[in-house]
Amino acid sequence: MQRRSFFRVAGATVAASTLVLAGCGTDDPTPTTPAAGANVLTLAAGEVGLLNYAYILEQLEAAFYQKVVDAPPADLRAGEKEALTELRDHEVIHREFLKFALADKAIGTIEFNFSSVTFTTREGVFTAAKKLEDLGVAAYAGVGKLLSGSYLALLAKIASVEARHAAYVRDALQPNSFGTPDAGIIATTGDYAGLNVALTPAQAMAAAAPFLNFTVDVSQLPTT
Amino acid sequence: MNIFKLLATLAEVDPEAYQRQSARRGMLSRLGQVGRKVAATAVPLGLGALPQQAHAGTQTILDTFTLALTLEQLEQEFYATALERGRQGTLVFPAGTQAVIQQIQGHEQSHVTFFQRQLQRSGAAVPAKPNFDFTGSKNGTKPALFPDVFTSFATFLKVAQLLEDTGVRAYKGQVEVLVADNDVLEAVLQIHAVEARHAAHIRGMRRALGATVRDWVSSEDDIITTAGSTDAVYGGEDATRQMLPGTPVKFFPADTTPVAPGPKPLVRLGEAFDEPITATVAANLAGLFIY
Repeated sequence: MQRRSFFRVAGATVAASTLVLAGCGTDDPTPTTPAAGANVLTLAAGEVGLLNYAYILEQLEAAFYQKVVDAPPADLRAGEKEALTELRDHEVIHREFLKFALADKAIGTIEFNFSSVTFTTREGVFTAAKKLEDLGVAAYAGVGKLLSGSYLALLAKIASVEARHAAYVRDALQPNSFGTPDAGIIATTGDYAGLNVALTPAQAMAAAAPFLNFTVDVSQLPTT
Repeated sequence: MNIFKLLATLAEVDPEAYQRQSARRGMLSRLGQVGRKVAATAVPLGLGALPQQAHAGTQTILDTFTLALTLEQLEQEFYATALERGRQGTLVFPAGTQAVIQQIQGHEQSHVTFFQRQLQRSGAAVPAKPNFDFTGSKNGTKPALFPDVFTSFATFLKVAQLLEDTGVRAYKGQVEVLVADNDVLEAVLQIHAVEARHAAHIRGMRRALGATVRDWVSSEDDIITTAGSTDAVYGGEDATRQMLPGTPVKFFPADTTPVAPGPKPLVRLGEAFDEPITATVAANLAGLFIY
């Protein structure tokens, strides 16, 4: 099946002809995280912990959109299925990028709890997408300062794509709501008016808790 | 347990409560002092590229804030002018679009105020607002790039998209300059995210009018730039590989990495990462509208 297929890209300046189809899915050898029976995932100190933190969020988004694409709601409007598929593709790329960067330090594949999501209506899908994308945007806005520099520029490249996603799914849910009216997304008054909310890893993992079957311990992560 | 609701409540009651106000108050203080001399020479963006400043290692946080202020002033005045022309009736806003442009203009005004305030608090000189000409004719001294920018709504949106996407790339190009100062870096990343939301929304407005354009920058978007002037807005944006830090040098995707699903992996790879531009490129692009 198409959705179970991944292309391997050979080299960097590849031509389309160098793309090779390869399997990636149920036979994925990566262990499930956390280990069976454990209910706490402790993120490591330093950059590894921060990248795994981002990797959790990207796994979450990719798994969400995969479920949407596997069984799209019947009431999607013109162009929305294609856009949701592209969102899935972007999140899979982000997920694989972080996994590649972490190499043998990457946490395993997470099974998420999507029981709170209504996948059968476009409103249900875009409501959940809005929650996940706004979470991602705020998490990336908050994680940058915790990085020592080498991965800062790379994660910033992802951060703005997440903000574009957030605007898209918000506008789909409610026209012209790309950045408002939720005052919790972009501050509306005071010295920081016009700035997107930034979340600490602890705040972001608390917001992600409904989708997780375990607790994420972020106490080892850098705080400055 | 709803963190957004909690933050929303905090923001309503006291917008600074969740922003660690005390740490940020003196955001630029020490940098303002060392950078004061630089500010005096960093102002005339309209005259062309920023000399020297774009070279890694020589650019200061003050330079970044000066550039950011200019870009925000440019965007703010652009939207404010469009809204004014709308009131005069010479630019016709389709139903429902005026309020959202008003909202974006409000964000840009907030960003202008933010950078002005930070520069003031640091004791640095606050650069005066440049003169803008959004037709790109430099006040009639050369052929206009966008002669109907404020009479055609489609052209207005096109220029808006170019300005917003430039802003996103310009902020991204500055993050490494800011790495030494957490508060400054976080604030700029927060503004960066808002600019990306704007860019996406403007792109959606263009799509609603029939343009082939996604909310994210895609090599499949209609081309709206002109070689030799505005093409730098998207130059290098469609990169399909990323270089990782460290040695030996590694690239994503490597030939053994599973990457994009679907039939167009390279298009999706290009879309999935927004690329930065240097301060020089950003200043040159802003300079198209400054005289």
